Amino acid sequence: MTVSQPQKAPHLRYRAGVAVRALIAIFGGYAVAAAIAAALAMWLPIARVEAALTATMTGLIVYPCAIMWCFAARTPLRALGGLLLAALPFALLLAVGAQGARA
Amino acid sequence: MTSLYAVVTGCAAVAGAFSGFAFLGLAMDRHWADVHGRGTEPSPAQRRRLRWFGCGQLLLSLLACLALRGSSQGWVLWLGALTAAGWMAVLMLTYAVRRVPRSGIAAGSLALLGAGVAVLVR
Amino acid sequence: MKEGFRQSMAWLHTWSGLLVGWVLMLIFMAGTSSYYRDEITLWMKPELHQTAISPVTQAMAADQAARALQKRAPDSERWFVSLPSGREPALQTMWAPPAGEEKAKGKGRRRFEEALLDPASGAELADARSTRGGDFFYRLHFDLHYMPVPVARWIVGICAMSMLVAILSGIVTHKRIFKDFFTFRPRKGQRSWLDFHNVSAVLALPFHLMITYTGLVTLMFMYMPWGVKVAYNNNDKAFFAELFPGSPKGPKAAGVAAPLTPLGPVIAHASQAWGGAPAGRIVVDFPNDAAATIAVTRQEGHGVSSDLPTLIYDGVTGRPLPSPDAGRGAAVETRGVMYGLHIGRFADPLLRALFFISGLAGCAMVATGLLLWAVKEKPKHLKAGRIGFGLRLVEGLNIGAVAGLPVAMAAYFWANRLLPVGLAERPAAEAGWFFTAWAVAMVAGLAWPSRPMWRLQLLAGGMLFALLPVLNGATGGAHLLVSIPNGLWALAGFDGVTLLIGGLLLYASMRLGRAPVAKTRLAGNAA
Repeated sequence: MTVSQPQKAPHLRYRAGVAVRALIAIFGGYAVAAAIAAALAMWLPIARVEAALTATMTGLIVYPCAIMWCFAARTPLRALGGLLLAALPFALLLAVGAQGARA
Repeated sequence: MTSLYAVVTGCAAVAGAFSGFAFLGLAMDRHWADVHGRGTEPSPAQRRRLRWFGCGQLLLSLLACLALRGSSQGWVLWLGALTAAGWMAVLMLTYAVRRVPRSGIAAGSLALLGAGVAVLVR
Repeated sequence: MKEGFRQSMAWLHTWSGLLVGWVLMLIFMAGTSSYYRDEITLWMKPELHQTAISPVTQAMAADQAARALQKRAPDSERWFVSLPSGREPALQTMWAPPAGEEKAKGKGRRRFEEALLDPASGAELADARSTRGGDFFYRLHFDLHYMPVPVARWIVGICAMSMLVAILSGIVTHKRIFKDFFTFRPRKGQRSWLDFHNVSAVLALPFHLMITYTGLVTLMFMYMPWGVKVAYNNNDKAFFAELFPGSPKGPKAAGVAAPLTPLGPVIAHASQAWGGAPAGRIVVDFPNDAAATIAVTRQEGHGVSSDLPTLIYDGVTGRPLPSPDAGRGAAVETRGVMYGLHIGRFADPLLRALFFISGLAGCAMVATGLLLWAVKEKPKHLKAGRIGFGLRLVEGLNIGAVAGLPVAMAAYFWANRLLPVGLAERPAAEAGWFFTAWAVAMVAGLAWPSRPMWRLQLLAGGMLFALLPVLNGATGGAHLLVSIPNGLWALAGFDGVTLLIGGLLLYASMRLGRAPVAKTRLAGNAA
């Protein structure tokens, strides 16, 4: 493995960091992918069935990319921040769309 | 599609893929050195020529695959041919590297010949 | 992570691959075998090997099917007919049991009845032994076994997504991907394993990416339902109705009796509409009813999409009805292509073989990845003086998955021939042999993860596989001396490939015996 740390010392801390990052990646990444899929399905100006399919297939690509981002980011906090940043515009689109539907 | 056409086009597809990989492999320092002696390198002109021929052969293989199976299955066939040819190239470059230059040229000629006949026979 | 992009991707690659690697071995081995599931099923029904099946025109075969179905199931709501093709020379008929019968069985899930017919005479073919054949492996690779289907599909989906992450991070981290494209240095220990892992991964990279992503796509409505839910306001049914439009005459029977038009002319009409391409499947909805429709689907083998062109005809008059194929958008087409690429049923023998080879490369990629991790970890443990629990566990699982799975697969084939034909629940018993053999291999591997255990399991797998052609002939099947002269390529191919796989496993076992330190090229582990 590529860990350049002494065998025993901050073992627990390192493991906790990895665990946190993994949780953020797995659940946060899925949330981002789901949000993007939902927003695309809602807003793509094409036939419903087309939009739904495109959105779903895109979501499946977004997820692994989000996971990779989470592990590439320098700290777990940055990872989370990045996910939130990515999700923000799509969350807004969803909110606007939901409002519009209710109106 | 007559069987002659299928056979010669098929030859072009497979031989072209192998030849392409053989040339591209030889254009790399490591494999060139395996053939010509430790520390040698192809000159920039040689490298360029090998790469052009290599890519050309791969393109020929692609065209042959498209001719054999049409525009959608053809791409799938090409990727499969590349995989099979790639394995052959790796095995040869590992275990019989001295034979690679000649095999590459032979395969390349066969591919060109096959393509030529195919065009005539169409 | 702190170490830098490439290193963090390398870490991610290692763990996203390792943690699910053993399940992936199962998925890849079973999935790769599925490309030949029809051939496997045929091998596993030796009673059918001798049937002289004479080719007839499609129209004749369709009429034979209709005649047989009228006799067996005139009141059924739906008939299925699969016309003979190169892969399946017999005529397959299936029908839904009439509604009352279903409820009496109390099962809830529809069980179709089926009959295999000789296309020339319409007679039912000799009662072949009850077996799931190649379909066992097909289902195994996404429905697993001994667990509810949704649970299995979630497990497989998680593994597939993890694999996609592993592939993508692997590409990113492999900085010398072009320089090392052809590099393979045998007999150099860890270096060789890494080279083999790289080569098997890179040379079939388009395939690996495609198969993993399209695998997720086939079950995408389960894994990522949000697009559909949002676009259709939670009305999933409406979405599927639009994606898979049904009969233009409506989903219910009219309740008025009307004789079914002969199928022969309908098939001929469809074939002509496709420029002579043969028909593959026929689905008759509500036969002998006024609302009857006949859906004719083109035979697979042209194009890539799994959505084959279908023409619909009125079941009473035989006149064509508006086709549901018109106006399919790009995304719908794309989904069809993705599904089609994964299943690979479009593939003719050459393409199918290439898919199979790529699948084997995938098995090699996963196997060498698992072995590479253990090989890399070992020196650290040796230095510390004892093998840690994690490494021991991984080494044991590696043996069980990489060497044990072939043993299990061979056991399945041996069970097919050795279990008594009239046994109740035969398919379940065959599956039982698979899992029992695998469990034994797993337990043995975990109990004693060592080189001799590798050799033993590879030897066992090799012998069991290599002897399959002999077993075939000895238990009433058409062995190589019969199948080759008679052009029964499906059977000859099965025997040939199992012989090859057995040979590779035996070779690997031998090579392990020679070298004193772990420097051998386990080429055989591809299977």
